[in-house]
Amino acid sequence: MIAEEEILGLRGYKFPGGIRTVEYWENWLLTDCTTLEQLPNDLVHPIALFHVPIQGAGSSISHLFSLGQVSGAGSVGLDGYDWEYFQPLKQGVPYYCEGEVVEVERVRTDSGRIYDRFVFSINLSTEDGQLVARITNYWRLWRQR
Amino acid sequence: MIELSPLIGTDIPTLTINSVDESRMKTMAALLRDPYPVHWDHEANKQIGIGNKVIHQGPLNLSYIANMLIYWQGPTCIKRLKAKFLKPVFGGDTVIAGGKVLEVLDDASSLVNCDIWLSRDQQTVVSGVAEIIITRK
Repeated sequence: MIAEEEILGLRGYKFPGGIRTVEYWENWLLTDCTTLEQLPNDLVHPIALFHVPIQGAGSSISHLFSLGQVSGAGSVGLDGYDWEYFQPLKQGVPYYCEGEVVEVERVRTDSGRIYDRFVFSINLSTEDGQLVARITNYWRLWRQR
Repeated sequence: MIELSPLIGTDIPTLTINSVDESRMKTMAALLRDPYPVHWDHEANKQIGIGNKVIHQGPLNLSYIANMLIYWQGPTCIKRLKAKFLKPVFGGDTVIAGGKVLEVLDDASSLVNCDIWLSRDQQTVVSGVAEIIITRK
């Protein structure tokens, strides 16, 4: 099991940052996965706020698993999301993404299980600096189940 | 222009997904570049005690709630989604997205706060709140 001080050291870790554009085909498939008909006016489905910020910030789900030193089925749990939309997301618009790990805490449950609460936040902005969206995701990295 | 305060306590029309589609989960995994096998590998999941099932992605669970809100107030109505994931949803499950208006946050901008949830077999699997812009006619 990763040492507590090592995982706590991830607090403040900054993602590389970068630019992410949602293409038409990607939004079409994403929207179809949700069972919704395609949205008008190049609008991106709001659920894109899961993967677009992560990928846009220069990270990935694999990278996050690697940071948290977890792998395999059952090693990660999803606690929650807090997603804020300041402007609608549009296809073909480059979004500037930056963020960091904002909280890490080792938790021991009453039943003796151990997990690390892992929280990261990423902002999406337009080229001229207008904030478009902010995500904060709460994950549970299991150490002992 | 309609008053917002009478909306408090109003139920949002529900959205039912009759069967969570595993093929869509595979497409979603590819879009997300998600290597976590619980979403597509039945064999890997046997070792964590869920039999021959695959676990639906959290974002897709939340998408059903988002779609319910979009059907209700339009494609740009969502200003904030806060959700907790309480239980896993599996391929083939029937789930129902629902919600209720809790309070008016800002009358000038038509912003209301709503309770939101996703349920399966009358058990809540996702719960949270959403800030929504109401279309006033």
